[in-house]
Amino acid sequence: MTCLLASHLTFYLTMRVILVVWLALLILSCKEQEVSNPYQFVIPDNFPESKYSFQNNPITKDGFELGRMLFYDPILSRDETVSCSSCHQQHVAFADPLHVLSIGVDERVGTRNALPIQNMAFQQFFFWDGGVNHLDFVPINAITNPVEFDESVGDIVDKLNASSFYKNQFNKAFGEKEVTSQKVLHALSQFMVLMISANSRYDKYIRNEGELLSTQEQRGLLLFKQNCANCHSTDLFTNGDFLNNGLDTDENLDEGRARITEFNEDKGKFKVPSLRNVALTDPYMHDGRFNTLKEVLQHYSNGIKTSSTVDNRLFTNNSPGLSLTEDEQNDIIAFLQTLTDESFIKDKRFSAPLMPKQ
Amino acid sequence: MKNIFIAITILFSAFVFIQCTEDEVTSTENGTLKLEFDNVVGTSNLQLNTSNFAFENALGEDFKVTWLSYYISEVRLKKEDGTYFVDPVAFDGSTGFYLIDEADAESHVIELKDVPPGSYTEVTFKIGVDASQMTQGAQTGPLDPSIGLFWSWNSGYIFFAMEGASPVSTAEGNALVYHVGGYKTLDGSPNLVNNIKEITLTFNGDNPIVDADEDPQVHIIMDLKKFFNGPAGNISFASNSVRHSPASCVDVAQNMAAAFNVDHIHQ
Repeated sequence: MTCLLASHLTFYLTMRVILVVWLALLILSCKEQEVSNPYQFVIPDNFPESKYSFQNNPITKDGFELGRMLFYDPILSRDETVSCSSCHQQHVAFADPLHVLSIGVDERVGTRNALPIQNMAFQQFFFWDGGVNHLDFVPINAITNPVEFDESVGDIVDKLNASSFYKNQFNKAFGEKEVTSQKVLHALSQFMVLMISANSRYDKYIRNEGELLSTQEQRGLLLFKQNCANCHSTDLFTNGDFLNNGLDTDENLDEGRARITEFNEDKGKFKVPSLRNVALTDPYMHDGRFNTLKEVLQHYSNGIKTSSTVDNRLFTNNSPGLSLTEDEQNDIIAFLQTLTDESFIKDKRFSAPLMPKQ
Repeated sequence: MKNIFIAITILFSAFVFIQCTEDEVTSTENGTLKLEFDNVVGTSNLQLNTSNFAFENALGEDFKVTWLSYYISEVRLKKEDGTYFVDPVAFDGSTGFYLIDEADAESHVIELKDVPPGSYTEVTFKIGVDASQMTQGAQTGPLDPSIGLFWSWNSGYIFFAMEGASPVSTAEGNALVYHVGGYKTLDGSPNLVNNIKEITLTFNGDNPIVDADEDPQVHIIMDLKKFFNGPAGNISFASNSVRHSPASCVDVAQNMAAAFNVDHIHQ
């Protein structure tokens, strides 16, 4: 009995020590969170929940940095001439500033205007047709597409395994030198999920961080809410849907979302893109047909073409177009410019890394 | 405060106790059961890259086969007492997924390890890779996309791939291409289909007995002839030589599910 009591007393004391240490650790980790960790995923106050499976791919500094190197390294393309950054450049929110349609190896011309890479952790569907439903699988599209990298996933793994530099980087990031496709994709995702753009003037205004919008910008915001926010909704400025925004008539509708759904009623429909940094990401639309926001606003105002799948929200009193006056269009454009996030396009975490000579 | 510590003490002791008993139950006498997948065409053994069109479908159209691969996953064995052995599935595909590749003889036998001893009455498995796996992100092992069964543009796995040629095929090079896949379903998209099939095959009373000393082998036959002629109809190479989108594979996916059966058991 005494023995039992003594063992309970020892246990009681041990538990006390464990609790104290545990509490101390808790306090420490709270303090760490206060000092912001640049490699920690933090959801901005005005954003929805994230969609990414962080439990399977926790972000580390080394994993992120490896993803950054891979993002900027043309080793991912067949002839090592094209990298992700060729068509996704930071100064324009990781869109393509040069080409209406993206250019791959051997100067091959793609069929789509490159979408910006931003706020990827919050998206359910990727690419204009939404064919990819998990961020990890996004790079496979660019890698294997003959008009982009024209490379196989297996070849990339072989090339990286042949590089002692990369093997060391993979070891640092994942604790194993051997490169696998899973690690390549995880590293790229770690880089991309942290590419959050949520620090525009609009964000600071909406979060009451001391930013004010001009009278014109406020008029634009109001008009935007009335005319555009049905589809470009939430503070991601997209409802995540696939819609036909009246670019073409039935005779020349692009297959669009129907390529994935194999459903004729989805012809001419494309992913509703986010409008964050939209003033930087010209040209516009899936095929880059409009060069300026002015042209885009003119399209929505009086350029809507009717077709069997066109969205009926683009009609006013049964006539195509939102019929916005020129002043109203200018006000909306003024508002859209408040979505430009200077800190995102200048964030050194996302810029081209210094690579040692190999 | 003291009560809390007492509660923690009791809980802790309970955990230790539970863990001990669990170990005792699972650590003894478990064995192995093997599933062999034997691919045939009717009464002929399947051979790849035959010099002639060695095989014939139910419509009498000749063909040959250059590639045959499929995924088996989420395997369960039912015991006589009604309990199940469930082959563990890892979030990253590293366990619980098996690629049966006709060109790789070693891949034809799936080894289910750590199976509790007993007499088993049936096996259940999926042909393909379930939607829930796709939400887990990048996969490895048999699901490594570098293996070449990953659809990039419409992300997902090809569940069952058969390629070959037939003189009556109107495709380039008289090709036959059947890539069965598709697991996405969405409201408002009636043609998005889930072609994954779960099938249960009974051992018809010839029950394999698993224990530490015995590792029985279940001989499963996959008849490619039934893939082209099954419950969903007869597929003609002359009119239907290429299928590689989810909606176009609905019928062959149904046939695929009916192409497997248990032939015999090696105890």
